[in-house]
Amino acid sequence: MHLHTLNQSPAQSQVYRQALAAMADDDCLLLIEEAVQGALPHLIGPFEGLAGRLYVLEEDLVARGLLERCDDNARVVDVEGFVSLTEQADKVLSWY
Amino acid sequence: MNVNKANEGMNDSNIAHTSITPPSATGELLVILGHAPHGSSLLREGLDMALVAAAFGRRVSLLFMGQGCWALQPGQGEGALGQKGTQSTLEMLEMYDIDNIMVEAESLERLGLESSDLVLSVSVVDAASVQQAIASHTLVMNF
Repeated sequence: MHLHTLNQSPAQSQVYRQALAAMADDDCLLLIEEAVQGALPHLIGPFEGLAGRLYVLEEDLVARGLLERCDDNARVVDVEGFVSLTEQADKVLSWY
Repeated sequence: MNVNKANEGMNDSNIAHTSITPPSATGELLVILGHAPHGSSLLREGLDMALVAAAFGRRVSLLFMGQGCWALQPGQGEGALGQKGTQSTLEMLEMYDIDNIMVEAESLERLGLESSDLVLSVSVVDAASVQQAIASHTLVMNF
């Protein structure tokens, strides 16, 4: 499994397209920084095919007041969860 | 290396290149270039990293995606304040034996670029080949 992190909002940047193209069927995507917007129901569209493999960083949601607005299909993890995802991953790729 | 000459007969060299070094070829370092020239220094840094690794004998592959594809637009120059561009660096890749150079097809199409009109002979690859390239290289660096 490869872990892909994305830090740009899908409402602002197209880089999420590269992350999705680079993701194999068992890879996971973690939304961090401004990309946490991608976990909101209104903006989750591009990530809908990632059921169970879409994660979003709790600290970055909380900082932006977005934790309660998060879509049920995004799995909220804290920084410790981020660390354990990197431990499980063979490679980590950052898309920014 | 004369770039214009290199572009002549590009389609033929593309085919030959693909048959010798398929995109799935296993390598040690894959450098993904996703940022445009001049907007930031990321493209330059990625290319420098690739050249340094190659100079130390590593097998290096390049993958241009998204905005990084603009690096392959012919006719680039320096910035208004004299900032060096990256085209001269691309011309050096061959000297460093970096010949597995891939471009993601969808990115090219989105930007309106044609593979026959790029400064380098490249393998145009789909998403599955991108995933395979990431899996088959020991180290992947994303710039």
